[in-house]
Amino acid sequence: MSCKKFRVLSSAYLDQEITKDEEKKLLNHLKTCPDCARELEYLKQLKGIFLLKGKREPLEFFETRLFERIKNKAKQPIWQAYFPVFKRSIVVILIFFSLILGWVNYKKLFYHRTTEIISDLLVDEQSDENFEEELLEAYYGPLG
Amino acid sequence: MEEDFELLAKFKKGDQQAFESLVRKYKMAVFNTIYSIIGDAQEADDIAQEVFLKVYTKAGSFKRKSSFPTWLYRITVNRCVDELRKRKNKIISLETEFDQDEKLKLKDVLASKEGDITEELKRKELEDIIQKAMNSLPERDRIILTLKEMEGLSYKEISQIMKISLGKVKVWLFRARQKLKGKLSFLYPEE
Repeated sequence: MSCKKFRVLSSAYLDQEITKDEEKKLLNHLKTCPDCARELEYLKQLKGIFLLKGKREPLEFFETRLFERIKNKAKQPIWQAYFPVFKRSIVVILIFFSLILGWVNYKKLFYHRTTEIISDLLVDEQSDENFEEELLEAYYGPLG
Repeated sequence: MEEDFELLAKFKKGDQQAFESLVRKYKMAVFNTIYSIIGDAQEADDIAQEVFLKVYTKAGSFKRKSSFPTWLYRITVNRCVDELRKRKNKIISLETEFDQDEKLKLKDVLASKEGDITEELKRKELEDIIQKAMNSLPERDRIILTLKEMEGLSYKEISQIMKISLGKVKVWLFRARQKLKGKLSFLYPEE
């Protein structure tokens, strides 16, 4: 095992989170490696630093303020309570609706364009008849 | 642990006093965890309130898959991560550099055999120095060191809270300690 691995093990050793077997290997290594032994001492010192850091009390009237907030939250209308969640999803909803609107409009436009083209192609029966008469007149002179 | 589950069950049935008991029991742990990660007492207080508000509203969704403290620490850590991410977009400067006086004070205390600090003022100063060192670390290191060194949690508990493997807890803690050692390099003789 390399020194680096033993140093990771040293850190876990201080936290009493290594197996008996690992501990045995580490202690044997420390006997022969002064660098790793010194590193363990530094780590011990670092751990000691945190012991100097006492626990702080939250700011004054923590519970009173908290229960007041809870009371106010209970009084809040439902839409206000869920507004932060709604705010996040509103973008998604807007994108979704604009996609649907876009698709519907595209369909409408496509329908108009096809119907326009088709109506151009449609042959009016009356004008068809007139055209035939015009043609006959051109060949045989004015009819009847 | 059973006591927590009982209190939670009572609270779910509408007993407000059970919730108050849970707050009283865990407010110090929640506040100190946040303070150690965020580095600002006023903000830590505000976030701690939000954490308990969340517990109040989400208690119904708590399943007994983990212990109550693990669930509570998870909410706390997640809220801290959110806050730190928000901060990335803002310019918030926490003091992270030590002046000569602070270096000497820390050296003195560590050199004294008992490391005993009786004076309240001196203790407060030292706490600020240690917090400064914590503030200078990356988010992940601050969280893992807080959970281990300040809250005294086991590797298993940390792995559940941070949702990482036990192996990662071991390596991340080692790296965090190395970084902290680097920040406090003035305490150590040149290698």
